[in-house]
Amino acid sequence: MTYYMNRRLFLGTSAAALAAPAILRAQSGPIVLGTLTPLTGVGGTYGPAMRDAMLGVVSDVNAAGGVLGREVRVVSEDTQTSPEAAVRAARKLIDVDGVAAIMGTWASSVTTAVAPLCWESQTMLMCVSGADSITELPHGGYIARTQPNSKLQIRVAGEFMVEESATSMAWIGPQTPFAASSIEILEEIAAGAGGGMESLIYEADKSTYRSEVDQILRGNPDFVMLGGYAADSTVLLRDIWQAGYEGRIIGPAYAVNASVVETLPVEVLEGVFTWEGAPAVESAAYADVQRILGVEDVDPYSAQTYDHMSLAILAMAAAGEATGAAIRDTLRTVSQGQGEVVESAVAGLAALGEAVDYQGASGPCDFDEIGDITGTQFVFKRIEGGAPSVYKRV
Amino acid sequence: MESYLLATLTFAGIYALLALGLNVIWGMAGMINLGMAGFFALGAYASALTTTALGLPIAAGVAAAMALAALCGGALSRLTLNLRGDYLAIVTLGFGELIRLIAANEIWLTNGSDGIPGIPGPMRADLTPLQFNALSCALVLTAVAVVWVVAERLRRSPYGRVLRALRDDDVAAAVAGKSVRRFKVQAFALGAGVLGLAGAAYAHFTSYIAPDIFRPLLTIYIFLALTAGGTGNNAGAVLGAALVIAILEGSRFVEPMIPHLNGAQGAALREILIGGTLILVMRLRPQGILAERPPEPERAAQP
Repeated sequence: MTYYMNRRLFLGTSAAALAAPAILRAQSGPIVLGTLTPLTGVGGTYGPAMRDAMLGVVSDVNAAGGVLGREVRVVSEDTQTSPEAAVRAARKLIDVDGVAAIMGTWASSVTTAVAPLCWESQTMLMCVSGADSITELPHGGYIARTQPNSKLQIRVAGEFMVEESATSMAWIGPQTPFAASSIEILEEIAAGAGGGMESLIYEADKSTYRSEVDQILRGNPDFVMLGGYAADSTVLLRDIWQAGYEGRIIGPAYAVNASVVETLPVEVLEGVFTWEGAPAVESAAYADVQRILGVEDVDPYSAQTYDHMSLAILAMAAAGEATGAAIRDTLRTVSQGQGEVVESAVAGLAALGEAVDYQGASGPCDFDEIGDITGTQFVFKRIEGGAPSVYKRV
Repeated sequence: MESYLLATLTFAGIYALLALGLNVIWGMAGMINLGMAGFFALGAYASALTTTALGLPIAAGVAAAMALAALCGGALSRLTLNLRGDYLAIVTLGFGELIRLIAANEIWLTNGSDGIPGIPGPMRADLTPLQFNALSCALVLTAVAVVWVVAERLRRSPYGRVLRALRDDDVAAAVAGKSVRRFKVQAFALGAGVLGLAGAAYAHFTSYIAPDIFRPLLTIYIFLALTAGGTGNNAGAVLGAALVIAILEGSRFVEPMIPHLNGAQGAALREILIGGTLILVMRLRPQGILAERPPEPERAAQP
């Protein structure tokens, strides 16, 4: 039996279903902050933990009495790792929830897409994106990032490879905002060390990279750098191993992350190097993120978003005002300087009568005038027997 | 809140333009076009580059966007005249990806995956965000109205009747003396021009475009809009687009009402909701909410 609902009934019921959520909440009481992380799409492996780290900070702060005598409320939206969806989500956070800050944008194209919305409506934007162009936007101070820009990251890794006596390097990765500059920097470093450098840009999200691997290994590089994210790095590492490559491999820690280590067999990963902006593993802030997420190894992005939330809360408390402009104006007062060192939002709020200097889970969290992070330390790890162990710090 | 509603309405308008463009190509003329995002991208990039790199006014950018998209649409359909169904779907899907890859890799022209920021919007500098959203909304809705009127006249005209004939049986149409090739190329170009217009509107409204925006997900949303609204029906196209945006945006407000959801579950729930709604619509009204009703044939005058 086929049943056709008539048009009027259909329109009526759908209208009713859609009108239900319109019973909106409009409070002025709590301070509202927004998280905008990739919960689905390519970045979906990182976003949920990033969001949870921020929620953990807020629940601690609320338990300790809130900020400026007010409770903090978090509204979370999903970027879907798409600039188009992220713009719609950011509009909702800014216009409906009236957030003072949006935190946790991950893909560089997403950050660039929501940035104009933020600075036009005086909302602070804190991101973990690495593209150099982001802080060069005319943002008037409304962007701060805890991720070292990509040029710095690549330079550090390039110099590491030279110190490890690499003579011919190779870079293989998808087209990203930092692909071209990565290749340029590595070529410069390789030339300076009298070595050679090959590069290959591939199409992301493929299920095999056999031909790409053959092509890049043809020149017999003794060091290969991976330039993609976790999904393609998993495939790539397997294909490189199957091709019988004898040299060394290095990849950013966000690409060769815990889930990749878990997925791939031990022998595939043996001897692979990773590097990242060193999270402050000894710090109380780092221990705090471990507690919040209930994990031993905190990924660099969650450590950073923990710092985003802590800094935003401290900046509002220091300014005595819960607005985006207040965060912009006092961010550097609480993040750097000669004040008392504090390692969590709750400790910072207690110490705030005096000057404070927030040192976070991702590092010292000092920003220059355009919003780039400075003074990041890097840690290199080597995977041995299926577990990364610290190899070197710079 | 008003600003958000206006912005959402603007996005709904852009989706409606896409659905209307697709309706000419697919709904009326029966050529499947999975490369829709490619034409959207062509329009967006053409208008963005005309206004930023060449410094011409926005109107010139919009004209360039429509012209380029129409030209490429005509050329693509000329090349694929003998393909239909699945084969045309594959070629057009390939075309969409091709455009996205060119945008990502031809850095000298498109600034690569960094994208093009700072695309001017109409009077953006002089207006508050709320006023700007109101102006954008008015402009986009006007564009939707104009395209709707034109598409509706097209549908009711003898020209539209030929397109329907092509869609239902192009051999029969050819036997009746219609130039199948000419009509197909024209219809594709016309629809692609509207898709290009949507791209230009998107670029100037959001001020930033990057290859990531033009992934096939958007094409799926628009197909969903058109299928749910009613393929072949212009009002259905607009209604479907509004419905898709209403679900995409409305689900944000539903999610916090459901307790004990973590972030990833909430996000997954939204996607389930979108897929589930489509299945429901297709189950209850396979012809779409507003089914196509071909205009009544004019009766021959009684002698």
